Amino acid sequence: MSTARVELKLSRPNRIYRPSETLQGRIVVKAASSFSHYGIRIGLTGSVNLQVRGGSAGVIESFYGVVKPIHILNNIIEIKPSGKIVSGTTEIPFSILLRNPKEDNLERFYETFHGTNISIQYLATVDIMRGYLHKSLSATVEFIVESDKADLLDEPISPEMVIFYITQDTQRHPILPELKSGGFRITGRIATVCSILEPLSGELTVEASAIPIYSIDIHLLRVESVLLGEKIVTETSLIQTTQIADGDVCRNMTLPIYVVLPRLLTCPTVFAGPFSIEFKVAIVINFQSELSRLYPKSDPKTPRLWTAMETLPLDLARPR
Amino acid sequence: MVPHMADLSEFSHAVGQSKVVVGKLKEKEQDSEMVMEFKPAEQQFHALPRSRADLHPLHSHSPPSLSLPRLRQVDDDAENRNNEEFYDPLRVPDSNASPAIVDDQDFESSSSGGNYDSVQAQTKEWTSFKRFLMQRFPVSKMISLSSMSSTIVRGGKALEKTSTSMHLEELEDPQKSSEETAKVITRQEYVSRLHELKDEINRAWNAEDRVTSLKLSIKVARLLMDTSVLNFYPTLFVLAADVLDMLGDMVWERIRLKAEFAEDGTENFGASDVCTDAKETCYNWFCKVGSIQELLPRIYLELAILPCWRFLIEQPSEPLHRLVMMTRGLADPLASSYCRLYIAHRAQKLPSYDTGYFDQTKDIGYLITCVNDMKLVFTRISSSKETGNGCFADSKRSLISLMEPAIEFIMKCLFKDVSLHSVGKVLVELGLGRSQEELFGGSSSVSVILYHILKELSTDLVSCHAVGILHLIKCSNDSSYDQIFLFVEQCLNYRLLGLRLSEQISQTDAVDAVLNDVIQVVSQYGLDEYLKVLDAYLDIILQNQMDGHLKAILGRISELACDKVIADDELAGLQSILVKLLSHFKDLEVVFSLNHFLEILDLMHGSSRSIVNMHILDMATRNGHVRDPTTIQLLFEISQALHDDFDLAHIKSDDNQQQARLISRFVLMVDHGDEYERHLAFLVECRGAFGSITELKEILVHSSNCLAAKATKDGKKHLGFVKSCIAFSEVTIPSISGHIKQLHLYLETAEVALLGGLVSHADGLIDSAINCLQSFDGMGGSRAAVDSDGILSSIRKLCSLSVMVPGDPEVGILHIPKSILSLINSQPWSPRLKTRIFCAIFSLSATLSQERLPYRAVHPEVPGNDLLFFGDSSYVHELLSLTESVLQNLVDVIELEPSRVKYFQKITNVNIETSFFLSIADLCYAGLKAARGTMSLEACNCIASSFKINEHVLPVCSKLIETAKSCLSANDRYLISTISILDKNLPPAAVSPSIAI
Repeated sequence: MSTARVELKLSRPNRIYRPSETLQGRIVVKAASSFSHYGIRIGLTGSVNLQVRGGSAGVIESFYGVVKPIHILNNIIEIKPSGKIVSGTTEIPFSILLRNPKEDNLERFYETFHGTNISIQYLATVDIMRGYLHKSLSATVEFIVESDKADLLDEPISPEMVIFYITQDTQRHPILPELKSGGFRITGRIATVCSILEPLSGELTVEASAIPIYSIDIHLLRVESVLLGEKIVTETSLIQTTQIADGDVCRNMTLPIYVVLPRLLTCPTVFAGPFSIEFKVAIVINFQSELSRLYPKSDPKTPRLWTAMETLPLDLARPR
Repeated sequence: MVPHMADLSEFSHAVGQSKVVVGKLKEKEQDSEMVMEFKPAEQQFHALPRSRADLHPLHSHSPPSLSLPRLRQVDDDAENRNNEEFYDPLRVPDSNASPAIVDDQDFESSSSGGNYDSVQAQTKEWTSFKRFLMQRFPVSKMISLSSMSSTIVRGGKALEKTSTSMHLEELEDPQKSSEETAKVITRQEYVSRLHELKDEINRAWNAEDRVTSLKLSIKVARLLMDTSVLNFYPTLFVLAADVLDMLGDMVWERIRLKAEFAEDGTENFGASDVCTDAKETCYNWFCKVGSIQELLPRIYLELAILPCWRFLIEQPSEPLHRLVMMTRGLADPLASSYCRLYIAHRAQKLPSYDTGYFDQTKDIGYLITCVNDMKLVFTRISSSKETGNGCFADSKRSLISLMEPAIEFIMKCLFKDVSLHSVGKVLVELGLGRSQEELFGGSSSVSVILYHILKELSTDLVSCHAVGILHLIKCSNDSSYDQIFLFVEQCLNYRLLGLRLSEQISQTDAVDAVLNDVIQVVSQYGLDEYLKVLDAYLDIILQNQMDGHLKAILGRISELACDKVIADDELAGLQSILVKLLSHFKDLEVVFSLNHFLEILDLMHGSSRSIVNMHILDMATRNGHVRDPTTIQLLFEISQALHDDFDLAHIKSDDNQQQARLISRFVLMVDHGDEYERHLAFLVECRGAFGSITELKEILVHSSNCLAAKATKDGKKHLGFVKSCIAFSEVTIPSISGHIKQLHLYLETAEVALLGGLVSHADGLIDSAINCLQSFDGMGGSRAAVDSDGILSSIRKLCSLSVMVPGDPEVGILHIPKSILSLINSQPWSPRLKTRIFCAIFSLSATLSQERLPYRAVHPEVPGNDLLFFGDSSYVHELLSLTESVLQNLVDVIELEPSRVKYFQKITNVNIETSFFLSIADLCYAGLKAARGTMSLEACNCIASSFKINEHVLPVCSKLIETAKSCLSANDRYLISTISILDKNLPPAAVSPSIAI
């Protein structure tokens, strides 16, 4: 049987579309010889996949497994009726409106997100049916959905800065006695509402520290919550660590906090009924300590004796 | 009409001309049996244009400017040394480790980042800066790696690493492996591994695998986190910066191609012109770079692609400022300094734009922040307290010197193109000035930074604000915990201020105030620092004629320097100061009379002392004679010191020649006036002291000859003295190497002896001269050919001299020409030379045959040959027989020529390397022929002017003319004129048709 391949090419290189827009692109068929088919269809699917694992939080003991996914979009459109594809390269353009205005009952178009427990994904699949004797040709691409401008808040996102200070007394976990006695004071401010297109910004100053600082890192955390029966299962995981100070920096020198938000791994904060996606930012100060060498592979989320930290909620939003 | 004896010497200089013209007088009646007759003399006297023989002892004027090259070389050396010091007085660590010269040829990144006017200059500047960085810090061969540099360790080389462990390594916390034993690799390995990484990045990029390129680049940038390699860090920085520059250029190029504006190739675009696709790609790059966890590689990578911000935003000054701020997070002083250096470098890739911050085209606010941040770092380093480590101060010092290039480069960028108006603002921003009015009124500054600011400021500004700057230097308080350190830094700054002020010496009061301050400050310094600082101010002191200061300084120096062994650095300082004094004062005696000058000179030793001595000698002899006995004695001692110094070296270097020349010149210029004995004693002393200088011995002979001539002219009373002089010369000459030199000197001495009436001395000297000629034997023919002009002129001179030497009947009256004749036959000289020598003997014989010789010895007691022998038939007979044999020889030589010409034709294809053939091999056949023709004509002319053309002479002449005709064209002018002379001289009876054409 002659070989034939099909590809889906979307019109935008970044594959980002809004729900009110049309998904445009081309179906590219490369065939060594001509063949006939029973129709070319494009299927669009969008779903929120939820799963619950044996949580590190220890909240859930026995639940493990996939929670029923939430379908946002499931649409199959016939692009071409049955016919023939000539040999060589054939390009078939298509254009599909993502949100069918007639079908209002569908779920909200959540923005694409890939997390640990929650994954929101949109796929476009092309199928060329070739009867019973032949396997149908198909190809799938993921496209990324961003919220419609109309659905976004009117007012611009105010860069809300929170002033923080970290001292030996603000720590909720045990710290080394020398840290406790020597004392330290790190102050600064950081945005807690942040546009998803902009980097997370702020500044930080080491005002005092008796023990030399080893490094200061900004952890970006996501908090995924899934409604499981009566309970809400929440898991916090680390998305990205950004070091802002390497070594024992000068005291009273203002350091900028500038964290580029990773695409796909972040999305605007969502509070839906069955699930929610939130973010947090943690400022973690590692002090120089012999002890740290004994625990080389520590989980960055776990507070240690030689660390001080401050965790703040982070509200991500898409600007208009 | 009679040439003065002194003029004779000029014949030896009129080399290569064919006619030694001697006057001829009418001859008396001849013996009928004589076959040849000397020609009657003509009344006309011909002479060639003359030039002075200034060096000749018989020259009446005082010997004047011997063209001796000035001490240019020494001056240059001194200047160079000064220059070096200007740039890096103490800062170059003179370590004995080999400098890290890394072949960076293929490491030059092709700059495609921009096409602005200054790009070329910037690239060049950066390239030379990189080279400077790599060479400045000597690196030991081995580099121990900390775990962070594991990228550099090839898989399985230092530690067996499986791919999984490599993978783990990327993820792991840096702390983890710090307990592993330190790995050590060679510097070369490290460098070549970096080259490999660069190639890998390139390969991956070309294979469209940009993610790998980026990952590898991050690894390279991560290497810069390891500052434990210390002295290797600058080299590492250069190599890593090259890799990152390359990546940045590639990313720029890729996005530029995506942006459609690129079609017209213009670089002037705004972010609004860039298409979405290109923007998207660009944004992606910044996202990827921004997600690097570690701070240092993140900053470096963003800097690498910094120019790409232009695709996204109109004025990328915000990212630049942010990056400067982010660098504050690097606590390691070395890493942060070089990171700032890289910022300054990459920022140059951005186009100039106006930020309104300063009223100029370039935003320099970020650089000011850099400098101010570095200021804090410096303060922190120098104020950090001593730990248990003993060599803490040393390591601080070397750390700061490693950081210096960064501050230097940033300062250069900062002050480049800063308008005069803005400088004030910059200085205020840097904390140096309190306000525009009080540019240097700030209270504190870091001396290292101050140093580099001072280096970059305009001369005008420095001289206007000297007092303020001085105040700043005094107040620099960065090293409050380390007095020695502070002291060294301040010393450097004082020195630099002096040097900058010297660039434009003003006459204002401020100079006085500054100097008073400086001298007060340095009075507590040790010798080395004292010299270093004051050396810089010496020009100002000298030019403003601050004699009080000068006196005080010299006094202080001798006070500090006595009773101690002077170190090399201090010697260099002394040298510089003394040389400056010497070149300032035109008169040596003024310098010598300066208090303590000689004292200080005595304290010096080694090459520095030699250099000062050479300057002194140069100065002493530049302006004519040295007459003062004290000065002479002093200079003699100086010369002796100089001589002793290079005797030890025993190397015939240019330097030594320079010194030899200076000493010789000094000896030449010494003049004891009427104290002849004293002068001769001085010469004897010199011969003993400077025996190894050949050149000097020549001068000694000349001087002693001059002395003898002078004494002779003074009258009879000095006869004994003249004899001693001649004896001195005679004894000295044989020790001079070079026969031609000896020959000349013998002749010169002979002339002087003759002048003094010492005939037997003269005879002896002429014999020695002839012996000298004979000893040419041993030399190769080719050498003789080279010197043939010299030999010819010497022999001619010898001939003209022997006109005056009374013949000695005991050895034969014509002893001299006969010896010459026999000499010729024993030498492998060229026929041309031989012909000319024969002609000279003809002229000599013709002259001697006259009733009155054209010139005679000046001394009344030396009788002329004319008085002694004229009319003596045996004398005339002997003359004629001599000439006859000469004529025969001459004809033989010329006749021999054709066979040689033919032979030459035959052998030109055969490569026979006989010296004889070599001497003519470079002449072509035609040239040979022409030469032979000319030779014949020359001989013919000489014969015609010396002899009457009678039946004996005529055939010879005809034969010569025939030869000439066969060799030259018929209308050759020389040929025609020779024939016409012959025709004119033919006796009327003997007009022969064979000669008339």
